[in-house]
Amino acid sequence: MKINPAFVEKLLTKFIREELTKFHFEKAVLGLSGGLDSSVSAFLSSKAIGAKNVTAIIMPYGESFKKDVSHAEKVVEILGIKSEKINIKPMIDTYFSKYPTQDKIIKGNKMARERMSILFDFSSRKKAMVIGTSNKTELLLGYGTIYGDMASGINPLGDLYKTQVRELGKHLGVPEEILTKAPSAGFWPGQTDEKEIGIDYDKMDKMLYQMVDLRKQKKEIKSMGFSEKTIDRITEMIKNSEFKRKLPTIPKIAERTIGHDFLFPYDWGK
Amino acid sequence: MKVALAQTAPILQDVKKNFIRHLELIEKAKSSQADLIIFPELSLTGYTLKDLVPETAINPNKSELFAKLKLISKDISIVLGFVEEKERGNFFNAAAYLSKGKILHIHRKVFLPTYGMFEEAKFFSQGKSFSAFQTPFGKTGLLICYDFLNYGADYVLFSQGADIIIVLSAAPGRGMSQGQTYASSHMWELMGETISRFSTTFLIYCNRVGFEDGKSFAGGSFIYNPEGKQISRASYMDEDFLIKEIDLGELNQARKKLFYKRDNKPEVIWRSLDKVIKKNED
Repeated sequence: MKINPAFVEKLLTKFIREELTKFHFEKAVLGLSGGLDSSVSAFLSSKAIGAKNVTAIIMPYGESFKKDVSHAEKVVEILGIKSEKINIKPMIDTYFSKYPTQDKIIKGNKMARERMSILFDFSSRKKAMVIGTSNKTELLLGYGTIYGDMASGINPLGDLYKTQVRELGKHLGVPEEILTKAPSAGFWPGQTDEKEIGIDYDKMDKMLYQMVDLRKQKKEIKSMGFSEKTIDRITEMIKNSEFKRKLPTIPKIAERTIGHDFLFPYDWGK
Repeated sequence: MKVALAQTAPILQDVKKNFIRHLELIEKAKSSQADLIIFPELSLTGYTLKDLVPETAINPNKSELFAKLKLISKDISIVLGFVEEKERGNFFNAAAYLSKGKILHIHRKVFLPTYGMFEEAKFFSQGKSFSAFQTPFGKTGLLICYDFLNYGADYVLFSQGADIIIVLSAAPGRGMSQGQTYASSHMWELMGETISRFSTTFLIYCNRVGFEDGKSFAGGSFIYNPEGKQISRASYMDEDFLIKEIDLGELNQARKKLFYKRDNKPEVIWRSLDKVIKKNED
């Protein structure tokens, strides 16, 4: 599971540079929450294409998460990238005043999609590629909002587990307080991923690595000291979130159908 | 002889632009007095072609590009990768060796990786043989990527008396390592060392770089001498252009010490294999 952060940095900055060139972008835009993943994405983007070509959008809901906003501002300052602070409270409150709910997940998802909508709007305005911030752990567990924070143009962190992202962040010089704070989806104050999922990232990543990368059987993983209940729950989370990792299924009618046998590379002609 | 390895990053589907890049690099090789230039697997087309296979295919006997390459090959020998339309609608992942104005040999990839992230057999027909052929520099065999990892394929070329084995590759990097490259790069070098030493041949491996659909081709093209020593290696990850003088006299030197070629017994291997094959047929 151990990565060589210098190699991964080289690989991912090269990836960002090449993909932007292929799709005729010079600039990048990303949502910066002040958390680990978006900070690492910001560091990589800035190293890949230069600080002046990167815009970070900080999108707090009102005055909550002040500390995270200050972390995001610190990243902007360290890197010297451009930034924009947009308070999403008015848009969110307008919507929920008409369709009220007490469900924190529904509210959080709506906020994530509001942020996505702003990012893609800035993508058009600035002719900038949206850089994703989803890591392998959350992609596998489906611990993200489909068409929200999971939406992007390219996703450099998608094959790194959370703990590997932290290793990379340390190497890139992400500030200590961002590296060490408890990861949170930021749906409500005090929410943490580890509390919500019920297992800490170190253990979770180790288990996922055994399951996914090494394709170990349940009984082998059990013998490593993981409880059956946890293994089953994580397996269910992976299964039930497959839809978040795919385009919507199309029922086949014609001879040749998108998603079935219309088979072209993403980098077609690039 | 002087060998040039062109570790390129082809543009997917754009045969025209890739061809121009080939011409530039052939010129560069010529100006360095190289005798032979080698490009990676599918160097004219890019790798992840899927349904683009038919529209990037070339019939070397009818192709203008090959007519030009043949002319150029009067001055420098050329090895490149392309999609071959052998007969109408029959497509191969192929490599050509051009020299002295002629196509000396076309190799059609036999082992088409079709598992995990690979899906070659969905789009390509399978080649059916490995044959070494005479070149101005000695007997040579061509292999494409996964062909090379099947030691039976290497053995056939060895048994035909190959002096030089050339591998064209489009190998995506995978697996973490603690070094400056993917874990998979080590595997290719391991095979390079093994095959060159135990066949007492030069082993020239030309891989590509660049990303296609998120897969990163890992570069690290290399040359091993007939005693299994790495004598040259290109950058991992980045485009590169290697020029290396190789001393064909090393073949004789190696074979004075290492008698694998003299002691090879293809007829024994053949009879044993024949038994295995018959036993497996039930």
